[in-house]
Amino acid sequence: MYRIAGSHLRSLKRYSYSRFASTSVVKQSSGGLFSWLLGEKSSQLPPLDVPLPGITLPPPLPDFVEPSKTKVTTLPNGIKIASETSVSPAASVGLYIDCGSIYETPASSGASHLLERMAFKSTTNRSHLRLVREVEAIGGNVSASASREQMCYTYDAFKAYVPEMVEVLIDSVRNPAFFNWEIKEQLEKIKAEIAEVSDNPQGLLLEALHSAGYSGALAKPLMAPQSAIHRLDSSILEEFIAENYTAPRMVLAASGVEHDELVSIAEPLLSDLPSVKRPEEPKSVYVGGDYRCQADSDKTHIALAFEVPGGWFEEKTAIIVTVLQMLMGGGGSFSAGGPGKGMHSRLYLRILNNYHQIESFSAFNSIYNHSGLFGIHATTSPNFASKAVDLAAGELLEVATPGKVTQEQLDRAKQATKSAVLMNLESRVVASEDIGRQILTYGERKPIEHFLKDLEAITLNDISSTAKKIISSPLTLASWGDVIHVPSYESVSQKFFSK
Amino acid sequence: MAFRRLLSAAVRRRSAAAAAAAGPGNAREASTAVAAAGPGVIAPDAAPVRPPMMVYDRIAEAVNARLRRLEHPDPRFLRYASPVPAHADHTAILAAPETRVTTLPNGLRVATESSLASRTATVGVWIDAGSRYETEDSAGVAHFVEHMLFKGTGDRNAAQLEEEIENIGGHLNAYTSREQTTYYAKVLDKDVPRALNILADILQHSKLEESRIERERDVILREMEEVEGQYEEVIFDHLHATAFQYTSLGRPILGSAENVKSITQEDLQKYIETHYTAPRMVITAAGAVKHDDIVEMATKLFNDLPTDPTTTSMLVSTQPACFTGSEVRIIDDDMPLAQFAVAFNGASWIDPDSIALMVMQSMLGSWNKSAGGGKHMGSELVQRVAINDIAESIMAFNTNYKDTGLFGVYAVAKPDCLDDLAFAIMQEISKLSYRVTEEDVIRARNQLKSSIQLHLDGSTAVVEDIGRQLLIYGRRIPIPELFARIDAVDASTVKRVANRFIFDQDIAIAAMGPIQGLPDYNWFRRRTYMLRY
Repeated sequence: MYRIAGSHLRSLKRYSYSRFASTSVVKQSSGGLFSWLLGEKSSQLPPLDVPLPGITLPPPLPDFVEPSKTKVTTLPNGIKIASETSVSPAASVGLYIDCGSIYETPASSGASHLLERMAFKSTTNRSHLRLVREVEAIGGNVSASASREQMCYTYDAFKAYVPEMVEVLIDSVRNPAFFNWEIKEQLEKIKAEIAEVSDNPQGLLLEALHSAGYSGALAKPLMAPQSAIHRLDSSILEEFIAENYTAPRMVLAASGVEHDELVSIAEPLLSDLPSVKRPEEPKSVYVGGDYRCQADSDKTHIALAFEVPGGWFEEKTAIIVTVLQMLMGGGGSFSAGGPGKGMHSRLYLRILNNYHQIESFSAFNSIYNHSGLFGIHATTSPNFASKAVDLAAGELLEVATPGKVTQEQLDRAKQATKSAVLMNLESRVVASEDIGRQILTYGERKPIEHFLKDLEAITLNDISSTAKKIISSPLTLASWGDVIHVPSYESVSQKFFSK
Repeated sequence: MAFRRLLSAAVRRRSAAAAAAAGPGNAREASTAVAAAGPGVIAPDAAPVRPPMMVYDRIAEAVNARLRRLEHPDPRFLRYASPVPAHADHTAILAAPETRVTTLPNGLRVATESSLASRTATVGVWIDAGSRYETEDSAGVAHFVEHMLFKGTGDRNAAQLEEEIENIGGHLNAYTSREQTTYYAKVLDKDVPRALNILADILQHSKLEESRIERERDVILREMEEVEGQYEEVIFDHLHATAFQYTSLGRPILGSAENVKSITQEDLQKYIETHYTAPRMVITAAGAVKHDDIVEMATKLFNDLPTDPTTTSMLVSTQPACFTGSEVRIIDDDMPLAQFAVAFNGASWIDPDSIALMVMQSMLGSWNKSAGGGKHMGSELVQRVAINDIAESIMAFNTNYKDTGLFGVYAVAKPDCLDDLAFAIMQEISKLSYRVTEEDVIRARNQLKSSIQLHLDGSTAVVEDIGRQLLIYGRRIPIPELFARIDAVDASTVKRVANRFIFDQDIAIAAMGPIQGLPDYNWFRRRTYMLRY
């Protein structure tokens, strides 16, 4: 007892011992210096199933709150600021840039990947330490992502902290310091990431489809290649940013924020960005191709893909392709099942339920501004690879044939697509991202009714004609794993030309 | 000595940050802290075979040129954000739609939150039943029932059920935990009545056919194999098994393979009749729903439920969970990384100190190697782990149950770092009883409030929040009250709560992998307090 008491007294001397209530609602117990010694375990607060007295609740919101319109302001230098309000206490702010791996040169290959990792590091105005602490101080979440065509930096926190969010977000995007030691640390992480790429065969195959299927911009790797580890440095990143992070290619998008407030905070920070005419987007030509990689694996991963002509700028085609993917669906052969898991999509009913050798079988699509990929990915045992390719080809030919898809199946797919879109837009984070990406791509945010109207108008003819158009482009075939039994590119390609 | 130096470095860093916060002009001092780190990091890169002075001079000059850019920060970018956490009152922006609760004559509760502008909605049934209420002989029946309810009712067979949901583009989900079971459907606004109809049908009229039971056995056994590969799940199952040994809370949710193979239709039926009773259920809805409509439909549809008034409080009092200081170690040299969890007995759901434990969880923090900012984070545990590179990931956890809880840290590390990692964890945990700064507490409170609110994003999260809270607290705590309780946690409260739960208290340990280097149980137990006399 004496020793314990001594111990506590010593700690009291070394550190100032202050006890005060941080909120007027609750009065702390004044148990005194030795309250711990007496074993005081009671709390002044009532148990959580009893309401806390003295709390003033704000009046509840009405059941119906009109959704807000998206407001857009274009600054003189061309950057756009867009926002919508919401009743939620949280806000999501993002900076979206029309820049990605397609803008890399051989000298700057891998820059997008590295920039994604160098987000929210030291800037010329604040150290990385300060930046991390500023985000932590308000309980915020920051993240960055790079894709082939767009960079995205986001910050989520309470809407009361919007000024802090906007300031830190724009500072970290506009004024990166690119210290050598920070870059070196991130390159080490990229190297580790490259070493683990075989853990994600689907991602690996998607990259292979792009490098083999395209010539030009979209063929450039999204993940930094091995050579980038030794080539990339701060000057390369700075040149890349100076060239590509210009005002007309940026959108500051926010959900849950008052527009006037956002503009007043952001304008001083963005108005002096250079106003450089938007460069022409680098060209991509879809050529089809073959990629196969023998790897130490007991499975075979295969992907067949074709081009979606027009990409996002062919809006109707993009919507039809989305429905087509939902129609074909698919997934893993092992699923706890259950309603709403896509168990009645075509690939489940026709393939996965009938062939136990197939481990996963699913349709996928990747759509870009002017082009896109649509195809089927399969994971199977090695000796079943040939059959799996036949089945995949058969399914693609089937949906391209009029009369093979029933109206019931199409209705289910359209309903699933509609639900997926509306359910995703419930999220404040998704809404903010939707604002940013749509304004980057189309220059405006199209209302959801626009999308739903096009969706409802899709007919069986649209599905088969779009599918036919897709498979009339050259085939891209990619495989990874034990690829001995994967049929040759020519033999698979002929299945589509002969009809 | 190394620890003292590290502590001094941490204090110095904090001072630099505080100085920077005083005004834009002082940002230079923060920059100086960065400058100090620069040359030290660069020097080891010099190639020894080449003239070291020349290479060093060039590199140093490049670094200095870059650092000079930091000497004139742009004041436009330093007006608002501050690295020093401050208490903020968000009551003005915490207005939320009203949560309405109605209790039906059979004891079933209906709770809704309306957002009629939405075009989607989630409706669910939350049941105060879970694996801890099973009997020893039928462990795993709670999870088995959850699977079987999707396999056909009097009106719908399994395929029809699946097709009906998919035709409306909905999602139907269920999960079982140790104390709660939930079934919920996410649908478009016009399909809410159909979703409720389906939920009522599967809960009251499931057929539990023998042939389906046999097929589902295989599915569950397969699911168990999948879970065996998720090490975090396995560690926490072992942790519960040892911390609550000889009590029902220690059983795994899925049961054992032997039990799954022997569960009969009678077991399933008995479990449903005993535990899926109206007073233990809450029907919740959020999104494009109206309370009166839901109440009317629930009254009409859910009229065939057992009405046994037994509450889980009665069940818990007859079989309370008892925490035992103990450990499970599974040495497996084939695993590349070691994982372990150290846990103290925690607070029950309604214990007011559970809020303080949540704040303490935020103070300890979580981190993994792929996340950025580890070295600079406010959590000193994360700082030590990231700076010294002694773990792949680390996560503080706080799990609550009706009469007890678990509070501790879970970590994944290379085999040769285990002693340093164990020391860092126990040092930082036991420190909560002695040295807590108000700044750290405020930061943790802000992070906790933020994570609570940011999680409520969409109707499914709201439905889950309503259902869980009504089962636990009998009410949904308004956010302003919850935040007031969080803000009532200050440094002295943290110390008191740490003394109650951490200081010289028994611990439970679960460890797997190449754990030969992990200190033994007595080593951990001894470090639940500091010797300072």
